[in-house]
Amino acid sequence: MKMNLTALSLLLVAGVSYGLYQLSYEVQGLEKNLAALDKNISDNRETIRILKAEWAYQNRPDVLQSLATKHLPLLLIAPYQVADLEQVPENVIALSELEPKNVPLPRKKPRRTYKPPKNKPLGSYTLATFSKAGGVQ
Amino acid sequence: MSELTWLSKSHRPRLNLKNPLNAHKSDDNNVALRLEGSAKETLEQGRNRLVMAGVIFAFCFVILAGRLVGLALSGDGDTARAFPEKSNQKPVAFSDGMRAEIRDRNGVLLATTLKTASLFAEPKNVMDRQELASKLSRVLDDMSEAMILSKLSSAKNFVWLKRNLTPTQQYRINALGVPGLHFKEEEKRFYPMGALVSHLLGYTDLDNLGIAGVEKYFNGQLSGSKETAASELNLSIDVRIQHAMRDELTRHMSMFQAIGAAGLVMDVKTGEILAMVSLPDFDPNRPNDFSSDSKFNKVSLGVYEMGSTFKTFTTAMALDAGTIGLHGGYDATKPIKKAGFLIRDDHPKKRWLSVPEIYMYSSNIGTAKMAIDVGPKNHKAFLGKLGLLEKPSIELPEVGAPILPPRWNSLETMTISYGHGLSVSPLQLSAGVSAVVNGGAYINPTVIRRDPAVGIVARQVIKTKTSDTMRKLMRLVVEQGTGSKAAAKGYLVGGKTGTAEKVEGGRYKRSAVVTSFVSAFPMNDPRYVVLAVMDEPKGNAKTHGFRGAGWTAAPIVGRLVARIGPILGIAPVEEESEKVKRAMFVPINSKGKKVASF
Repeated sequence: MKMNLTALSLLLVAGVSYGLYQLSYEVQGLEKNLAALDKNISDNRETIRILKAEWAYQNRPDVLQSLATKHLPLLLIAPYQVADLEQVPENVIALSELEPKNVPLPRKKPRRTYKPPKNKPLGSYTLATFSKAGGVQ
Repeated sequence: MSELTWLSKSHRPRLNLKNPLNAHKSDDNNVALRLEGSAKETLEQGRNRLVMAGVIFAFCFVILAGRLVGLALSGDGDTARAFPEKSNQKPVAFSDGMRAEIRDRNGVLLATTLKTASLFAEPKNVMDRQELASKLSRVLDDMSEAMILSKLSSAKNFVWLKRNLTPTQQYRINALGVPGLHFKEEEKRFYPMGALVSHLLGYTDLDNLGIAGVEKYFNGQLSGSKETAASELNLSIDVRIQHAMRDELTRHMSMFQAIGAAGLVMDVKTGEILAMVSLPDFDPNRPNDFSSDSKFNKVSLGVYEMGSTFKTFTTAMALDAGTIGLHGGYDATKPIKKAGFLIRDDHPKKRWLSVPEIYMYSSNIGTAKMAIDVGPKNHKAFLGKLGLLEKPSIELPEVGAPILPPRWNSLETMTISYGHGLSVSPLQLSAGVSAVVNGGAYINPTVIRRDPAVGIVARQVIKTKTSDTMRKLMRLVVEQGTGSKAAAKGYLVGGKTGTAEKVEGGRYKRSAVVTSFVSAFPMNDPRYVVLAVMDEPKGNAKTHGFRGAGWTAAPIVGRLVARIGPILGIAPVEEESEKVKRAMFVPINSKGKKVASF
């Protein structure tokens, strides 16, 4: 009985201290993990900051303007090109239009060399465009 | 009962020793050893001490166990204090304790703080200097091999090689894997837009303290303090408009070989400044490479005699005071001679001119007579109401105070009526004109984005009716008068030209002028005031040698409005339509025969 008690308490001591050490190591491990995560977060934040600055730098208006001049056939918006939705005429479709008709067939094969007509819209306003050197022409 | 007894004073057994030999023999197997005297006392004391220690230990363990149980049950402790589960506070931007960012009205980044690595070397620990120098010069493009070698050859223990490396450079240097090189982390203020918003932003010194522009004015907010976190700043500037303004000014500056230019776009309803450009400008990333001349903010710090643009104020004043109506006029046949001064017209018509004509043809004679009728006292008071006589209040440290004449009598009133003798900053002029066109309310200009929900403090300075008339007159200048080159089809631009000779050493310098064009659009319901100023423009073949504001400053506004109108979401109108024509109609009433009556 006495031996049992001693053995039991020894076992208990061993068990508890093992548990405590385990816990202590686990806490240390978690703390290490936390520190690493914190560092990771702050590193990521720093990277985001740099990327944001880089993004703003690459999107400087003068850079965008020179790129647009180089690659896009865009012009300044002329006043006659601006309209609101109410100014667009309503397209009234007649009932007869909705009835099914014969599907039209092309007379010959569509050409590969097809080019859209070159007629540009005529306006009372001379369209301005950005020059490559900068500024508006 | 087998007891060993020395003294039978006490009947209590003190120490019982079991006798294993007699245990089975006697019926009472308790064999007690009784100690008496000094030996007993010592034993007693020892026992008491043991009990006391036991009690104390037990007490401590009970407390520890209790605490453990308590912690296990409630989870209450330091952890809870370190990581509050929930807070009702608004999430604030994570600042890292770094200087906060500055953004434009649309959130475009204008200034930020980056952690950069700076490279230093310990020459003692470098193994092969020649090799290291050649390797480094390949990574750091702006440093020659000889330069690096001379730095590495110094006798010091510590040599800065390069401050504020880019991340790529840092990576490549790390990849070299050379001993003796080290990095030190530093914070650097970075302005992605470069010179675009230079004067307004200002810049910081090496310790990241703002020393100019909003960086200085809002230094406390941006850097934060122990109590308050650094919070970011949202300016009223729109980089797209700022860029358009800078682009146009730069172009025209080189076209007319001007030494400087300035421009401003301001919202007349809120006082927000959408663009503020002063040329020449500088790159706030490296302010030390630029002269102090390029750091001078011509818009807010520079004060100039603004010339004929002041006729806007004179006309508004006369119409508001009622000293003359729109149908009245003055004789502008002969120049006015007063106290040795000769007031004459640049474009003399040599006849009676109605008020709209005086404004449209920019007649100095007519305007001077108009101002005299109102009187110097009222003139001064009126300009004071428009904020032209005192330092304007704006969120910038660089603000110039106007230069007032030493006295203000009828002669001064005459010259100031057409913009000479009183120097104001372009900022003040724009704020004044925006009050004239927006219905007559003076709103303090600001460079900070205004919350639309918060009411705007406005001070009524002229009648709404006068403001309405002034819009039509300004429109007339562009339609038929001196500012025809400022027309941007569809946007109903109205404005006023101003050409003033520069004052140098107390004299007017004929060879140098400051031309300006102050305008607003769309004139049927003005939303924005646009100002363009050219410093010492020269005429060229395209302008037939003229250098006046109508040739050098007005075209800037015309082009700019056509560019920014769509960005600002202003719907273009058909200028030739009956409705617009009627709204903009103003009776010019040019009746030459009336000259006879004067």
